[in-house]
Amino acid sequence: MKTGRTWWVLIGLLAVEAIVFGTWGRNFGTADNVANMVRHGTEVALLALALLPVVVGGGIDLSLGSMVGLSAVVFGKAWRDGGMPWGGAALIAVATGAGAGCLNGWMVVRLRVPSLIVTLGTYSLFRGMAEALTQGVDAFTAFPASFLWLGEGRWGGVPVQGWILAAATVAAASWMHGMRWGRELRAAGFAPEGARHAGIDVGRRLVWAHGACGLVAGIAGLGYTARLGTAKADAGTGLELAAITAVVLGGASIHGGRGSVGGTWLGIAVIAVMANGLTRLPATMSVAAELTGLMTGLLLLGGMALGPLLRKDGGS
Amino acid sequence: MFGDVGATRGDARALDGGVAGGSKGGLNYRVHGGEGEAARLRLVDVSKSFGAVRALRGVSMEVRAGEVHALLGENGAGKSTLIRVMAGVHAPDSGRIEVGGRVHGRLTVGTARAEGIAVVHQQPAMFPDLTVAENLALRLEQAGPWSRWRRDRHERRARECLARLGSGIDPGRLAGSLSMPEQQLVELAVAVGAGARWIVLDEPTASLTRREQERLYPVIDGLRGDGAGIVHITHRLEEVGRLADRVTVLRDGESVGTFGGRELDEGGLIERIAGRRVEGMHPGGGATRGPLRLDVHGVARAASGLKPCSLRVHAGEVVGLAGLVGSGRTELARVIFGLDRPDSGRVWVDGSEVTGTCMAMERGMAMVPEDRRRHGVVPEMGVAANLAMASHGRLFPWGWLRPGRERRVASEWTGRLGIKAGPAGSLVGTLSGGNQQKVALGRWLATRPKVLVLDEPTQGVDVGAKAEIHRWIREWTGEGMAVLMITSDLPELLGMSDRVVVMREGRVAGELPGGCSASEVMGMAMGTAGSEVGG
Amino acid sequence: MRRLGREGWVGMALVMLLACVGLWAPAFFEPQPLWTRLASWMPRLVVAAGVAVVMVARHIDISVGSVLGVSGVVGGMVIAAGLPAWAGMAAAVSCGALAGALNGWWVAGLRLPSIVVTLATMVAWREGLRWGRQGVFVNLPDTAVWMGLPMVAGQGLVIAAGLGAVAGLGWWMRNMASGRWVAAMGSNPEAGRLAGIPAGWVTGGTFVVSGSMAGLGAALLLVQSPQVDPASGRLLELEAVAAAVVGGVSIRGGAGRMRGVLAGFLLLACVGPALTYLGVKAYWDKAIHGVVILAAAAMAARAGGKQAT
Repeated sequence: MKTGRTWWVLIGLLAVEAIVFGTWGRNFGTADNVANMVRHGTEVALLALALLPVVVGGGIDLSLGSMVGLSAVVFGKAWRDGGMPWGGAALIAVATGAGAGCLNGWMVVRLRVPSLIVTLGTYSLFRGMAEALTQGVDAFTAFPASFLWLGEGRWGGVPVQGWILAAATVAAASWMHGMRWGRELRAAGFAPEGARHAGIDVGRRLVWAHGACGLVAGIAGLGYTARLGTAKADAGTGLELAAITAVVLGGASIHGGRGSVGGTWLGIAVIAVMANGLTRLPATMSVAAELTGLMTGLLLLGGMALGPLLRKDGGS
Repeated sequence: MFGDVGATRGDARALDGGVAGGSKGGLNYRVHGGEGEAARLRLVDVSKSFGAVRALRGVSMEVRAGEVHALLGENGAGKSTLIRVMAGVHAPDSGRIEVGGRVHGRLTVGTARAEGIAVVHQQPAMFPDLTVAENLALRLEQAGPWSRWRRDRHERRARECLARLGSGIDPGRLAGSLSMPEQQLVELAVAVGAGARWIVLDEPTASLTRREQERLYPVIDGLRGDGAGIVHITHRLEEVGRLADRVTVLRDGESVGTFGGRELDEGGLIERIAGRRVEGMHPGGGATRGPLRLDVHGVARAASGLKPCSLRVHAGEVVGLAGLVGSGRTELARVIFGLDRPDSGRVWVDGSEVTGTCMAMERGMAMVPEDRRRHGVVPEMGVAANLAMASHGRLFPWGWLRPGRERRVASEWTGRLGIKAGPAGSLVGTLSGGNQQKVALGRWLATRPKVLVLDEPTQGVDVGAKAEIHRWIREWTGEGMAVLMITSDLPELLGMSDRVVVMREGRVAGELPGGCSASEVMGMAMGTAGSEVGG
Repeated sequence: MRRLGREGWVGMALVMLLACVGLWAPAFFEPQPLWTRLASWMPRLVVAAGVAVVMVARHIDISVGSVLGVSGVVGGMVIAAGLPAWAGMAAAVSCGALAGALNGWWVAGLRLPSIVVTLATMVAWREGLRWGRQGVFVNLPDTAVWMGLPMVAGQGLVIAAGLGAVAGLGWWMRNMASGRWVAAMGSNPEAGRLAGIPAGWVTGGTFVVSGSMAGLGAALLLVQSPQVDPASGRLLELEAVAAAVVGGVSIRGGAGRMRGVLAGFLLLACVGPALTYLGVKAYWDKAIHGVVILAAAAMAARAGGKQAT
């Protein structure tokens, strides 16, 4: 894998960010601030980690944000209107996400529609279902404290999201780098027909990848609800593009095959640290938080332009 | 529909008009009165090598205006290289090309076109979403970006070009809706519209049914009548008698000779094509025939053009699967291995029925595909990962990768097959063709298969590796493996096979015993000698 | 007629939908709300038409929403600076064309995947705009609204401009050599290069077209209200792609016509309001959109099933 150079570029960027914000930022390096970063970055990070297998397998998922919204609303509905304990409601919400993801995968594999189009459709469909469930206006609030602890509490001094994120990272890294399924997905991303000739059940791998993506989106929906204390139909709007940005910035190829959990993490970190650090700069430096997005876009463009120059073998 | 073909005979202006990029001064096409140099396309002493493979060795050939010149030879004899030299795709290493008296050391795509040379490919590259008329116009006209797209004019011109071929294809149809013979007609119409004087037909009839072929012949006759020089590449010997004025036979990159169209009968042609082989250049057979391993019964698949096919392979046996390109060998192999689902018929391995690739693998079947870079290996991944790819279930119980086991398998098979893999972790795409093929083989040998399907196992592999692969195949069958080998390499087929099953036009044409001759195989594959044996 | 293909089906679906509405909820066709609705659709329609051109060339442009936002603000600022409305509209279109040219250069010149390039420019433009404007609206003088015309006439002008632009694009795609080149390149890029089509210019050009259409969309939006919302293009890109897909434009390039895009857009746009008139709650809108998109995609996959990746 020629991801090495991308990694070094991202690590260099992180170092530059750390130096700049560490020097001029207020309270940038404090534990509280790091916890803050984790809290605010968790949903995008989770989604990016979940998206990675899909992208490596040669697909894409635009419906991530909508699945977040759908599962958040399903959770609220099951808890408040269904009268379930929040644990049961959470299970149903996560299962909803997984089911939604499997639906994506099934349509990609069975109907042979490109994943871009399928997930464009479900992007609308899932968001629409969330809106229909809440009749467009309903919002679920006043969740029990034990649930809100997921979004605001700490466990062992670390924000709860930190633990969830760590578990997701371990799971993603095992899947993509430590288990045969990740290897097979990668082969399918590089050469779908070649993988089939090697006896790999490409269709099943893709359904799994999309299903896992939905499952994680369900978890992210719960996290989102717990952090903000409300579940609304518009939860997670736009998160899909943030996740795609992180994955691509982390060196994954949109054509499939290339991409790693480490690179994705670096991509996530570069964006999250920048987003946080810019808010920590003193007013005299007059740099606004909105600059994050602009810088992210420029980084993406720059990274891509560097790609063909760095990678001698060109790729396709 | 194909009537009145030679209507424009003698109309040299029509042939001259609209040669794409052909406005170079001094080109003087004298179509008729064909005695002079102007009416000759000559290849003189053309050689071309690709790495160690000498595709053409001093081939000379002459095409006259107003003749159909058939070019024969088995797969890999150098026909495709020769037409690529004519089309300007390949520059010859030595030799020259003379067109109408002008001498070229090499042709480029542009000069070939300017000289009026057009190649009609077996599978034309078209714009499937555009109409036939638009396809023609895009290929024939150099329009400015802001010029009007004259649909009516394009349609009229397309209709004219097609009518000269005696075809009534509606120019308004989408190219994607055309059948293969119709696509070839459109491609031919491009050549006609460009005023091509030298038309190379690359196996135009290979993928056509007999009825479709019959409709193409008058078209070719008509073009000849118009004074075009036609190079007709074919595997169908009856076409030679039907169409060709002269025949050139290539074998192993050399010209065997040029003959008159009716000078040789089919037997004579087959003998020239196949040559007299030195038999016994491969490790001898003598394998003992064990129990039945692979039993294919009445497998058919319409989408692949496969009629019901049956064959059996026993343990310890190499069965060669012969046939021309397009006869359905690879398609049959795909169905046997479960990559494509058959419409009917069943496949048994060791007495238990298999459906689908996963089950075939579980029962001990393996297949090394023909298209190495796209199917055989994943070039972007490492040697070890490629070698382990078909054995994941055995190597990695519970799904966890075991780098140690993988390394052991990789080193075992790189060692046993002598794969020169370069530095550790190097990608398969960086290896030579022979080494890539060994990786593709090793991947499946690592599964310890009982039934091995090989599709062109030594294509593009150098001589040393080829001999090694042959030796191994013998070794494995000695250990009780059943091998079904597709090959277009006649010496390989004859030297390796204990039995030869010949396919023609999607069905099993017959079976020959080991030790049969090249002529028998070619005769059966081309449908001349031997009686039809039903599948 | 099989030749009508998917555009025909979409058109039929649209007609049937409208017929149902006409039977059971004729209020839908009352002129004034219809006229207003049409005018408010026009910006999104022209954006969808631009994206469709890119998709016919086998690429995608998801930056159009952001480009529309930027162009709108630029145009608004030109008008706010005291220049006439048409100057602001021209500025918006040129701004869009420039942004499109940038995309085109990245895609055609550097041969980068268009989805990533336009994702990057989408994020960059959107966030750059947020940074530059801080969410502050641009206030326009009253004379700029409907270009100083009475509302009905102004709306008519907007509708005419939008439909005219789409019709013009459709005419160009069908009746000029460069328009056919776009379809040819999308249909088979390799054959296109062999036939001597200037591949880079054609690909890059389609992005200029989609950028310009985004700019035109901004211009048509500009004159409809006294304020320009910098966030007005949000999520427009996916809506535009959806309209094109429903209208029979293939993501694999080559196929697609403007009348199909028009039908697809109208179907998606009408289905919500129409169902509202028929008594279905508005919050089902997006879900129905999703179903329409998936149904269209599934139909397309069945029609062209041979061409699996």
